Amino acid sequence: MKKALLVALLAAGSAGCVIVPQNRRARLADPMMAFTQDALEAHRKQKLYSTREGAAGGDGITAGGGCACQ
Amino acid sequence: MRLPVRIRPPRRSHGWAGAALALATLALAPPAAADDPPSFTDTDILDRPAPYFRIESVNLRYTHYDQSGTGYQSRAAPTGGPGSELKLVGPHGGPGSEWATVEQPQAEIIAKQGDKITHRIWLPVDIVTAASPDAIDAVSTASRTNEAGSIDWTTTYKATPESSLTVRNGLHNEENYRSWNSSFGVTRSLAEDNTVLEASTTLLMDWFDKYTLAGAHDGHTSRTSASLSGGVTQLLSPTTVVHFDYGLTLQRGQLGNGWNIVPLTTGLEALEILPRTRVRHAFVGRVAQALPWNGAAHAFYRFYVDDWGIRAHTVELELYQRLSRLSYVRLNYRYHLQTGADFFTTRAPPDFTLATADSDLAPLDAQTVGVKGAFDIPVHFARNLHADLAVERYFRSNDLRVSVYSCGLGLLF
Repeated sequence: MKKALLVALLAAGSAGCVIVPQNRRARLADPMMAFTQDALEAHRKQKLYSTREGAAGGDGITAGGGCACQ
Repeated sequence: MRLPVRIRPPRRSHGWAGAALALATLALAPPAAADDPPSFTDTDILDRPAPYFRIESVNLRYTHYDQSGTGYQSRAAPTGGPGSELKLVGPHGGPGSEWATVEQPQAEIIAKQGDKITHRIWLPVDIVTAASPDAIDAVSTASRTNEAGSIDWTTTYKATPESSLTVRNGLHNEENYRSWNSSFGVTRSLAEDNTVLEASTTLLMDWFDKYTLAGAHDGHTSRTSASLSGGVTQLLSPTTVVHFDYGLTLQRGQLGNGWNIVPLTTGLEALEILPRTRVRHAFVGRVAQALPWNGAAHAFYRFYVDDWGIRAHTVELELYQRLSRLSYVRLNYRYHLQTGADFFTTRAPPDFTLATADSDLAPLDAQTVGVKGAFDIPVHFARNLHADLAVERYFRSNDLRVSVYSCGLGLLF
């Protein structure tokens, strides 16, 4: 797991050297490219999984608590 | 999580007609004296300033969940469904029903206060009709339908063009359950928004009822959950963006729901006993790639590990295809694989210290397949009207199936 984390950190670090200028980001601005297009849809997906699998968390989400169903 | 892309509103263009009108105005205008004050104001030249407080968007979503299956933690009869209050009496041989339906309306309002402050008010509601909690009070069936509602208020302050601070508070109320959450986050963009760093911390406090094995009320209990998370979003090319994050959650208190049972080797049953603490780690990696045929592909991987013995790998793939300038379709597939908690069992000895029969904590794999269609509809009273419809089917290796139907509607002003 440490190796995987190291590789991920190295990849993220080396990616920081890339600069994409503002005028070349038209494709990135398409709603289809957004990781989270809609917070309400993200909530329904998170609720589906966090209440049925004992392995929630990540993506800035607290793993557990906040609901009697968890 | 937002892409580090700034979208500028389109400028109005009057074209040749505007130019001709300007020339005609100049030709017909009387000559002005050299010392006359200008007869135009700032708003004639610049756009009218936006109101100090204005609503940016209103979003609504309605989701229906239809669940069936069985689990050993449930007290309901295995057949489930309406009438599952007729729970098994005496020795409990097999798994009970996990039948449930959930109606989940949500509303969200996003408003700007000046140029630097954004408010988000979010109102999710869950109306749960479930066999397992209903079986606790088989006579009154008071638990057959459980209404849960929350109010959640997030304020984001854009301190500089590159950095913002977020404060979030929420209250949650259910029939037998109260919860409060509070969080604080910071976001910093670097290298002309090519890199966005995020960090946040959240504290959750829950208070809820306890029950005896016979279903009688047994006072109250509580738990706290604290989490720390950090992430980075990075543009790799004009068509590729990646995101990594890590989340740590520490939990303490009563970590079960208070009514799950464990079948015993003697043929009787007992309330589950879980550890009083839990430490949970989650690592997430995401990539989004624009495709040459006006589509996009998303890949997601998550590794999860905790000190209850659960390790999980989750992979998700999404394929988007634009059908027109105003519509697209999405296909998604998700695979989840997890080991069980160290103390998971479907037959515990009578003198057990820790045991759960909760099917969510069992070794399992789960798959989800889904399709979604999204449409942008031009309207005269707003900048955009967005609508979408989604259908998903979730199925688990240990006898659980959920059908999900969801529709959303959003207005952007």
